[in-house]
Amino acid sequence: MASALEQYVNTVRNLSSQGNYRELCDYLGKSNEVLLKNAPHLDNVLETLDLQQHSLGVLSVLCAKFNLPNSANTADNKFVQAQDFINGCNGEQIRLVPDLFSELCHSLTAYLIEQKQPMKGILLLKKAISKLQLYDSQLTLIHADLCQLCLLAKCFKPALQVLNVDITGICQEGSHGPNGAQFDAKYYLLYFYYGGMIYLAVRNLDRSLYFLEVAITTPAHAVSHIMLEAYKKYILVSLLLHGKVQMIPKYTSQVVNRFIKPLSQPYHDLANAFASNNSVELNAVLNKHTEAFSRDHNLGLVKQVMTVMFKKNIQRLTKTFLTLSLSDVASRVGLPGPADAERYILHMIEDEQIYATINQKDGMVVFRDEPEKYGGPEVLKNLETQLALCMELDRQILAMDEEIQVNPQYVKKASGMQDEETPSKSTYAM
Amino acid sequence: MPLSVQNVMFQNAVEPMQVDAPPEDNDNNEEETYIVENPSLDLEVYANSYIGLAKLYRLIFIIDHCPSLRLEALKMAISYVMITYNVNLYQVLHQKLAEVTSNSSIPDVAAQSTSQDVPTIDSMWIETRSKKAALKLEKLDNDLKNYKSNSIKESIRRGHDDLGDHYLDCGDLSNALKCYSRSRDYCTSGKHVVNMCVNVIKVSVYLQNWSHVLSYVSKAENTPDFVESQTKDTNLLTSTKLKCAAGLAELATKKYKSAAKHFLQANLDHCDFPELMSANNVAMYGGLCALATFDRHELQKNVIFSSSFKLFLELEPQLRDIIFKFYESKYASCLKLLDEIKDNLLLDMYIAPHVNTLYTQIRNRALIQYFSPYLSADMHKMATAFNRTVSALEDELMQLILEGQIQARIDSHNKILFAKDVDQRSTTFEKSLQMGKEYQRRTRMLILRAAVLKNKIHVKSPQRETTGQTSEITVAPGTSTVLAARN
Amino acid sequence: MLMENINALAEELEKQELEAVNGIASPQTYERLLAIYLYQNDLCNAKYLWRRIPPTVKAATTELGQIWAVAQHMWQRDFAAVYKALNTVKWSDTVAEIMMLVQDKVRSRAVDLISQAYSSITLDTIASMTGLTIEVVGGACVEKGWHVEADTHIVHPVRPKIENSGHISSEDQLFKLTDFVSFLEN
Repeated sequence: MASALEQYVNTVRNLSSQGNYRELCDYLGKSNEVLLKNAPHLDNVLETLDLQQHSLGVLSVLCAKFNLPNSANTADNKFVQAQDFINGCNGEQIRLVPDLFSELCHSLTAYLIEQKQPMKGILLLKKAISKLQLYDSQLTLIHADLCQLCLLAKCFKPALQVLNVDITGICQEGSHGPNGAQFDAKYYLLYFYYGGMIYLAVRNLDRSLYFLEVAITTPAHAVSHIMLEAYKKYILVSLLLHGKVQMIPKYTSQVVNRFIKPLSQPYHDLANAFASNNSVELNAVLNKHTEAFSRDHNLGLVKQVMTVMFKKNIQRLTKTFLTLSLSDVASRVGLPGPADAERYILHMIEDEQIYATINQKDGMVVFRDEPEKYGGPEVLKNLETQLALCMELDRQILAMDEEIQVNPQYVKKASGMQDEETPSKSTYAM
Repeated sequence: MPLSVQNVMFQNAVEPMQVDAPPEDNDNNEEETYIVENPSLDLEVYANSYIGLAKLYRLIFIIDHCPSLRLEALKMAISYVMITYNVNLYQVLHQKLAEVTSNSSIPDVAAQSTSQDVPTIDSMWIETRSKKAALKLEKLDNDLKNYKSNSIKESIRRGHDDLGDHYLDCGDLSNALKCYSRSRDYCTSGKHVVNMCVNVIKVSVYLQNWSHVLSYVSKAENTPDFVESQTKDTNLLTSTKLKCAAGLAELATKKYKSAAKHFLQANLDHCDFPELMSANNVAMYGGLCALATFDRHELQKNVIFSSSFKLFLELEPQLRDIIFKFYESKYASCLKLLDEIKDNLLLDMYIAPHVNTLYTQIRNRALIQYFSPYLSADMHKMATAFNRTVSALEDELMQLILEGQIQARIDSHNKILFAKDVDQRSTTFEKSLQMGKEYQRRTRMLILRAAVLKNKIHVKSPQRETTGQTSEITVAPGTSTVLAARN
Repeated sequence: MLMENINALAEELEKQELEAVNGIASPQTYERLLAIYLYQNDLCNAKYLWRRIPPTVKAATTELGQIWAVAQHMWQRDFAAVYKALNTVKWSDTVAEIMMLVQDKVRSRAVDLISQAYSSITLDTIASMTGLTIEVVGGACVEKGWHVEADTHIVHPVRPKIENSGHISSEDQLFKLTDFVSFLEN
């Protein structure tokens, strides 16, 4: 083993045993080049270090291994090594260098994507997230990787367990050095964009819209392609869920209005055509922009919007009519014939989107009121859960408020001059 | 449409000052060219209700929209314009006349008038008139200069007003507006201020600058002297002028209900404002707007039982009938009468752009009112009452139900309209749960956002990126394939 | 009993798939998981499972494709085709029991839907929606208390009454509701 590496091993061992991790971190920051230069011997280094005791040292070596250009002999064992490391490493140590740990996970993700084996990394990344987190609702840089793997593997259940937890805090990247103290917006955006897509894939439109909204309201000084794509999907999901485009919040960055909206013209055209309730008009827009939609890989969603328009129009009919013949339904919503109308109505009844009965004998449909939904004790229970949820959230807000009140910076600012940049009280007016 | 009149005028304007046509703040610019075939309008009587530019503009509107009255209106307009200094308009009118007479092989135009009494363009008149106008302008200008050197406030004010009057007489609206506005600095009493306001309002109406009209109306109404001496006759006169101008501005900007309220405050005995509108106009504008926007109770209290507006209605007996038929729920005859007066309304430059909207609203009100006392209604009977086919009625009702204007459902099978009772309890539950969900969503986002701001997460400009990572702003390549597969 | 443990079984199979070496689980795991998703009427997850099964496994296991065929018809809500796809295959022991349950489930959903959605319906439509013969259906309808017109073959299904669990706590409810709303408003 080259002497430089020997020195590396010794330093790692000494500093680790002294518990002097801060100095070790600094050392690791400088020794990257040494590791890369001595690539063939890195496995030997790993053998001399202990996963638990020398987590930081191992992490650094593994990162170096993933940074090396792919060669046949190293390709095989690095996944297993990373796997062992993530499962066996010391959480306290790696939390000192979240950026380095995340970097390993990014590399691992990229590697698995390249190997076309995304499935293999799903459980592993979940483990990695939980090692890095201080609490469940903390966002890490690895969240986006997990979602990406799940999307590629088309396996969403593991991601949902993570996505369902609402983020309340963010894992600060690199607590060392003033420059590294920022969470890369890219991974934040990607998490919410991927999350939105996953919820969309499992037909949880409500959550999907929420995630996309978070993505497009991210503070921005420049146009991000992720935000642009999120915005396009936001329009589509909004149409699917609410039948119209939701207003985007006031605090949305100017970038969205100034640059992203003009770049999404086909989607605005679609929304306008949708608002007309006219299927012919909608079809015209669809045909006009087919190329743009399919280039964005949104054609499937756009076609769903088409179906939703028929359903929305049928719902409008239920608000106006008590009875209507199936052929009238078809002609009023623009379906080819009574049989199609019957099919749509049947599906909507099954999905509890409308309340109606079909009379095959006369070819009529009778629209009914919603059955009494708010009768039983389950309503009370529902109400109570909702109330509890609201109160819990309220408590969180109050706690945050208190935190801000006693924050010396805030106190200084509140009593002194105003500074626009501070995320102080003003952010509450969202 | 009124706009087009002006555009034509300004296009032909010789004087450079007139080119700066005022920017319009109303947006009904869409050019509707329609033709009214069979008006029952008595042009003579109609034209005699107005003076000045009001008369000319209204005649031009008729010239542009009614072939059968075109020649007569042109002749009236030309003979009237000759008593003013408006040389430009004189030329414009003659140009229009030339267009009409060149096509006058059309028999019905020829039949109405013998070709002898068609006036010909008089270039001598143009020349002398222009000279006279210039002379008068010079004189007034000199007078004003003298007043100014003597700095007698009242004289300066009058000098400005006189100059404004002259510009108006020449058809130079923007200079007229400037002069009238300048007199403001020399007002010594509330009365003067009000007078200045009325002048500005008048010109602003010609310019169709409606926001200007409204702001000067309120300026006048808030002048201290004016508020105190409400009862005096002259003030009643002014007050009616202001109400009418405000009503017109609201009408033009499609605020029909407040237009109605303004017109309803006019007083017939003091309704003298031929530079703007006639008492008949007040009746028609106010009555239609009220019919389109008032509920039954408001209609009864503010129109039918209004002793002052009743007098206006006497001037327009057809309108009075329409309103009473409506109130008595005789919708078929009400709607029929409305159709009868439609042609004449379409020749009125101020109400014409709104006739269709107002008529639809009146129809809808009628439908709503017709159904309001019923739990169910036979749509066949309803269709007869409204001169409609059952299926057309069904469409109309559907729209009203969707807009929430009628709480009902249609039984299309038996063609019966049923009132729908709203389940208060369910809707309350639904609303509160909805509110709760919304609250949770907002709060969650708030907490997240606080964390984001605390950590200063934001998308940076790529240039400032030290590493120059291009991947910063691109979607990871892996995603697109997933998307493609899913869709 | 399979039916009671089916959800637990699904979780177990999902875990197996995630932990599989090289990310590829056994064909049996895929087959059973796919079938269970059908039973749960979770067509979304069925679709994605089908998409992520490696082509080699699909090619080697014809039965997987047959299960997927059922899923596709379920996605289209084409009842007649679902029954046909279910009954033209002799299912292997791996999934036979689950596929049996799938058929029962689909049929009971069809019957529920008919009673919800139709006030009158032809016997033919019922037969195709339940995958049963006209004779069997006719008998079953009468048994359920649905009136069958002998000459026209029109059936009048009866909508099941929603159990009204009593309005005992109206005031209590109102109280809670007020509580909720007043919280939100503050």
